[in-house]
Amino acid sequence: MTIPEELVSQYSPGSSIYNSIWDDITRTADRFNEPGRFTALIGFEWTSVPKGFNLHRNVILRDDGVRARMVIPLTTQPPLGTTDPLDLYQWLADYKTKTGGQTFAIAHNGNLSNGWMFPMVDTYAGGKVDKNYVELRAKWEPLYEVTQIKGDGETHPSLSPSDEFADHETLAKGNLDLTQLKTPDMLKREYAREALKNGLVLEQQLGTNPYKFGMIGATDSHTSLATAEEDNFFGKSTSVEPSATRVAHPFVKSKLGAIEGYELSASGYQGVWAIENTREAIFDAMERKETYATTGPRMLVRFFGGWEFEDDDLRSRTPAFIGYKKGVPMGGNLSKSSADKGPNFMIIALRDPIGANLDRVQIIKGWLDKDGKTHERIYDVAVSDGRSIAEDGRCKTPVGNTVDTEAATWTNTIGAAELSAIWTDPDFDPAVTAFYYTRILEIPTPRWVLYDKVRLGAKIPKEAKLIQQERAYSSPIWYTP
Amino acid sequence: MKAFIKEPLFHFLLIGAVLFLIFKVYDDPADSQSSQIIITDGQIAFLKANYARTRQRTPSKEEEQGLIDNYLREEILYREALALGFDKNDSVIRNRLRQKMDLMSDELAGIAVPTDDQLQQFLDNNSEKFITEPQIAFRHIFVDIAHRGIAAEDEAERILSLLLDEGNRTDPDSLGDRLMQPKSFTLTRVSEIAKLFGKPFSLELLKLTPGQWTGPIQSGYGLHLIFVSDYVAGSLPQLDKIRGTIEWEWSAANKKELKENIYKELRKKYTVEFERSENGVKTSQAVSTAPAAQEKQQ
Repeated sequence: MTIPEELVSQYSPGSSIYNSIWDDITRTADRFNEPGRFTALIGFEWTSVPKGFNLHRNVILRDDGVRARMVIPLTTQPPLGTTDPLDLYQWLADYKTKTGGQTFAIAHNGNLSNGWMFPMVDTYAGGKVDKNYVELRAKWEPLYEVTQIKGDGETHPSLSPSDEFADHETLAKGNLDLTQLKTPDMLKREYAREALKNGLVLEQQLGTNPYKFGMIGATDSHTSLATAEEDNFFGKSTSVEPSATRVAHPFVKSKLGAIEGYELSASGYQGVWAIENTREAIFDAMERKETYATTGPRMLVRFFGGWEFEDDDLRSRTPAFIGYKKGVPMGGNLSKSSADKGPNFMIIALRDPIGANLDRVQIIKGWLDKDGKTHERIYDVAVSDGRSIAEDGRCKTPVGNTVDTEAATWTNTIGAAELSAIWTDPDFDPAVTAFYYTRILEIPTPRWVLYDKVRLGAKIPKEAKLIQQERAYSSPIWYTP
Repeated sequence: MKAFIKEPLFHFLLIGAVLFLIFKVYDDPADSQSSQIIITDGQIAFLKANYARTRQRTPSKEEEQGLIDNYLREEILYREALALGFDKNDSVIRNRLRQKMDLMSDELAGIAVPTDDQLQQFLDNNSEKFITEPQIAFRHIFVDIAHRGIAAEDEAERILSLLLDEGNRTDPDSLGDRLMQPKSFTLTRVSEIAKLFGKPFSLELLKLTPGQWTGPIQSGYGLHLIFVSDYVAGSLPQLDKIRGTIEWEWSAANKKELKENIYKELRKKYTVEFERSENGVKTSQAVSTAPAAQEKQQ
């Protein structure tokens, strides 16, 4: 993409326009940050998109505007800017040295990177995935944004063929500007679940797991609005606010294809288990990966791993106290224990107070076998409506569907408000490195396009999906022998 | 006279006059009709400094010549465009100039420092905007409709009468069903409670009598028996508690007001005629010099 010289000069570090925007943003964040009530973290997007390959990172600071204004955000246009993540890591390190503050970066939309988000051998900037790369990536990128408007990035049906819920809001057409179409070999370097597995491979090769990340969701909207639910989706930007025609307005269109308006996803949010509502506490919780992502519902998700959980622990009125006492929370690590049984997990999920009921709670396990091959497996661990879970750990009976496509409504006559389980890995091998995360599925509800149809009279193309199952993804808990 | 000099509107007109003089004397050694272009050392230094700021290095000789050539081209085309009247009836240019006027007024307004009296008055006049939310402290016992079905109501009644009969001898935490939400809340804003239990629940909560077990009231999860232990009504905070917010809001209002006053003042200089054509014959109708009531600030 060529940008006019004048624009580059006006929006480069050092120019008055550029500096005044950073000044304005940081002062505004400070002004509205209210410890205990409303936290406004200071940050910026480093919009790296070489040749249309989406390598975007959001940079988050733990500190206030005084420290933030000691630096200027890194840009991507040469001569001052760069699109190489290694340069971003240097900027982050410099920030720490210069200000004494703390910071990290969160990547998003691997699905639009055409195989460059989670590299295994070469990086797009011409470097190698070597010891230096994996160490720096693990250090500066503790989290990954797994779901947002430009598509859900947990996994892709062709990567997880045995996962019947895998095809959720996936957008796998090409890079961000659709100048290059997607080919199947790119997918394995684009999605979170596959990256979590590949991280185990790199850890074995290089000593550090670069893809040991927690999960968060965000909107990536340019409207400052938290409108990721289906029934309040206000679009990615002001140009696609609710209207009868926005479904027909392509997000990107090129000679090769289009990402249609109706394919965008009303997603997502981030849950953080912080000890208080302050910049410092929230940043620290994110740094230790005690986070989860949702595709829009404000679900409450608890996930603990340990060796000694018992069914009785769930009958306690305060199970989270037991969770912290006996185990580690989401984002944590388990190492070899003397116990002869596998690790066990405590999972409790509560639905959005004004949202849809829950269909099921799942554990997704990934591991690296002795031959260096990665695997994944899904276990249903709690299901609603008295359905049974078979020997193989799966519940084959769908929860049902109450969506009325004429009225864009559903009812909570199926599903459960709360689901919980204590689950022990039946296939545990103490010698094998593994990770576990939980995925919570809602009952089927209308997609945002159906609300556009009913409320605004939008004409919905036949290809558009009208119903979906929203979900939450927790950060994994890793087991290392 | 002193009061007059403090008046931002006076400053606005004064700055306008000064800028006019500066441009008259310095910026336009030759006016746009002239065929003479003078490039000073200062201007070249400015071009080079601009370049250095973006590129983080000084331009080479060739690049410096390029900068000067580019400046010259811009100046010539600018003058020719003015001569052709290209600045007229161009909505982009008109908007930009209007923006510059607004910017000047905003910056002037930004200079003003409000007195305590002004802030207090602003707070009083806009009290509905700054009044705090009611806060409630309560504990609750949850009865799960999903598990108990129609028996849930009876169970809630049973627990309530137990609490009322036995009073302090029963530990409320030993009653009811499990819910992954806190069991008791210290003083919490109503909007925060609404986020956890839904808005209808928070509104019902406001109606309950403090100091006794009561209910049940319903949330999206099920039934809740409630003990409201404390209630703080919404009130107007002291100025010192929210000084930052008030200064911010006052300044925003002040900018808007000044912009409006300046416009009104400028508007006085003009008469406006609406010209209508009827059968190809123009008929004019003059209106008063004062801004018409329906004219609104944009």
